Amino acid sequence: MRDLADFAVEYALKLGADYAEARMQSDVGAVYILKNGNPEAVGFSREHGLGIRVLVKGGLGFLSINEPNKALAEKRIKEAVEMAKASVAVMRKPIRLSDEKTVKKTWEVKPKIEFEDVSTEDKLELLLDIDKTVSSSKAVGVPVPYRILQLIENTTEKYFVNSEGTTISSSIPRVLFFALLTAYEKGGETEQDIIEKGEGRGWEAVEDWKLIDLAKEKAQTLGKILKTAKKAPREKLDLVLGNQVVGLVVHESVGHPYETDRIFGREAAQAGESFVSLDMLGKRIGTDVVTVADDPTIPNSYGYYAYDDEGVPARRRLLIKEGKINEFLHNRETAAELDTSSNAAARASAFNREPIIRMANTFMLPGDQTFEELIEGIQTGVYMKTFGEWNIDDRRYNMRFVGRECYRIEKGQLKGMVRRPVLEITTPGFYSSVDAVDKSLKFEAATCGKGDPMQGMPVWHGGPNVRLSKLKLGGTQ
Amino acid sequence: MNPKEVSAFIVKEGLKTGADEIAAIAAHDTSRQVRFANNEITVTKTWDQTSASILLKKDRKILIASVTDTTEDSIRNILKKLAHTVNIMKPHESYAPLPEGPFKYQAISGLYDEKIPKLTEKHVDYVETAINAALENGAKRAAGTLLVDDEESSLATSRNAEGTLKKTAINLVVRALTNEETSGMGITCGTTLKDFNPEKAGEEAGRLAKMSANATSGKSGRYEVVLTRPAAAVLFDIVAGMDSAFSVDAGISCLAEKLGRKVAFDGLTVYDDPRVAGGLGSTPFDDEGTPTARTTIIEDGKLRAYLHNSLTAKTHKTKSTANAGWISPHAWNIVVKEGKLAEKKLLESIKNGLYLNNITYVRFQDYRKGDFSAVIRDGVFKIENGEITKAVKGLRLSDNIIHMLQNITAISRESKQIAHWWMENETPSVTTPLIRLRDVGFTVPTK
Repeated sequence: MRDLADFAVEYALKLGADYAEARMQSDVGAVYILKNGNPEAVGFSREHGLGIRVLVKGGLGFLSINEPNKALAEKRIKEAVEMAKASVAVMRKPIRLSDEKTVKKTWEVKPKIEFEDVSTEDKLELLLDIDKTVSSSKAVGVPVPYRILQLIENTTEKYFVNSEGTTISSSIPRVLFFALLTAYEKGGETEQDIIEKGEGRGWEAVEDWKLIDLAKEKAQTLGKILKTAKKAPREKLDLVLGNQVVGLVVHESVGHPYETDRIFGREAAQAGESFVSLDMLGKRIGTDVVTVADDPTIPNSYGYYAYDDEGVPARRRLLIKEGKINEFLHNRETAAELDTSSNAAARASAFNREPIIRMANTFMLPGDQTFEELIEGIQTGVYMKTFGEWNIDDRRYNMRFVGRECYRIEKGQLKGMVRRPVLEITTPGFYSSVDAVDKSLKFEAATCGKGDPMQGMPVWHGGPNVRLSKLKLGGTQ
Repeated sequence: MNPKEVSAFIVKEGLKTGADEIAAIAAHDTSRQVRFANNEITVTKTWDQTSASILLKKDRKILIASVTDTTEDSIRNILKKLAHTVNIMKPHESYAPLPEGPFKYQAISGLYDEKIPKLTEKHVDYVETAINAALENGAKRAAGTLLVDDEESSLATSRNAEGTLKKTAINLVVRALTNEETSGMGITCGTTLKDFNPEKAGEEAGRLAKMSANATSGKSGRYEVVLTRPAAAVLFDIVAGMDSAFSVDAGISCLAEKLGRKVAFDGLTVYDDPRVAGGLGSTPFDDEGTPTARTTIIEDGKLRAYLHNSLTAKTHKTKSTANAGWISPHAWNIVVKEGKLAEKKLLESIKNGLYLNNITYVRFQDYRKGDFSAVIRDGVFKIENGEITKAVKGLRLSDNIIHMLQNITAISRESKQIAHWWMENETPSVTTPLIRLRDVGFTVPTK
């Protein structure tokens, strides 16, 4: 396939492409599924093939094939070049790519424990042990009759080559644990929560997660919510958001609207556009304590990469700096449009997907207070430690988060649990209300969706605990 | 090897590994896509892909695999891995064998249009036609996707089920915008060119976008609502997902424990119909080889059936509804039975209501109860005294699935097949008329 990638680039140029790149990508994975204690199935997947992009007179074409067949490659490249050329008739401005340095590089994340070195039996035993713990009413204090547990492991290998002379080989393992737990007492209420742990390393990550303890704590919390949580206060109050909630908030309301393809309208028909415009760069969006980064270079992170899928070296992007919009996420196309350089945000989820602008690990930077200091001055407040439901409009302006594990704050102390408080707020309303952040920093793994066809992308999002002043909770009708 | 040869090879080789049962689905797919935004094409794409999926059962244990490399060596290799792994697996509690064939599958008409694979050079024209129609009808910008698909797939099982299916599909979604905040959407889709009309999709998107201009902020509260087809398709895509017996057993369905009970308006009947002529999801057989047939999900407001494969059917002590999915059953084509009212009549009785053209980003705080919220867009209008009067913005749909189904008050008489990006349960198509509901909740941000 590597030879075919090299050939594809040369052949596309021969057919008149001004630029060509080929990405050989192989994803070898396994999934272990347990439903209500029953081993539903074990699945293996092996996907590999070639994704090729051509730029012809300003028209962009993508094609993928998975058969290592030169004649087929020639046929499809020819079609792709012709389609790209034909598309110029419905374009006002030719697409260009930013100038980037040529790179010849190999990078690898080497697992300490290979997935293959742990038996299927051990992996299923781990899931069964987790299930046994969370399904024990005695241990967790509540019936948890519905349990979906999944372990998903994957190793991605890529070889990237382009017509400018860049060649990059890479390899990275990723592992994800997913659990959906439903605590439910017949005739009573239901509480559900998700656990998602993911990292860009080998089986050693799973060993570090201490999944049995984590799942037990989660199930116990569901029981406490069912048994003790009361209605949320209706008066104006201070709201403290936990690390998990802050992570999702910055992912949805900073990461996505700062993707320049959304700002330019390229995703308008699907995920949508952005309330942020180019002229807002440097403008204030939040208070001084708000700094938000997206960083693909965090070791072991679920969104880790050293070079993006256009061959550009990864680096930290400071999206908001001390309350001001500081930087957008770029690929080579949007960077060229603004006469700047790409900051390496182009990612493709599989060989058969085009690289588009994606986040990696998005987080709000922590401050220097302790959590106790964060809440000590609050007379009446709510601490939304985790979320259940959320969504945000397609311009990333109007968002909503419904709390899962939540507590009332009275006179600087955490008191009893509060059930499903709703934060429904505009993005500027949110960032202008942040008046303090604590010094903790925690990340959650997620699979971010974007593109058509859909591309699920491994990411982390995170942040400190954050205080918002004088808000009204929403959600009532 | 072609898909039929690949699936047969997998079954033959799979049995040699000592497996009790094997099922295989092999496919070859050629797809093309043209994406556009801001009235211009942003990228053209071509996919040429082979794939094979394998189900292996032994001693009540279940393994699955998927590969893109369908050569003999690759298949032998993955089968070897499955055969090795199955020995250290745990048995499935409610194991059921694959259905015993042979079966005679009745052909379904209108699933393949020979013209579709040959019209590559027309793709750009279709997109241009749609963009121009949107602009002529009042849009400032048009974005969207044209997807054209040509697929041949083949199923074989060790229980003598054998079937092949050739399908084409063409789907165009146009989202038109008048400014950053106001938009409209039009869709044209099908398995043949017969009903494909890019001009009409563009016109619809442009017309709704124009109507959406000058939107004012909506007020939170409870409203009577009319859902157009794209919005209704999202609602029934969720119903389809929650009707899967896998969802019911996993605690992620508000239809759990409601079989035989009233879950919806008396006038609502919903089918899964895999045998619809020209249905985007139509198929004569499911992934286990069971011949497909129409399943009534909701009949006159009562929940009649869950969607089953052999495994979930065994758990529920019933028969498969031919909706396999080896792990999770799923719908093929959801069809909402048409009502009696003309579209205009649907609005007549509404004094103070809302007209919604699209529901997106549906997220649940409680799947089992059905509590959710969603973002509404692409044409959100106030209805006053039976007429659409103005566009509104800033509202969020916040309600409960069962509450909404029970509060349907009328169904229009003309349905159309819909498929779009925001049908996140991935039901291949929903054929639905317009739906009127009462007492639907909407919220707004507090800051």
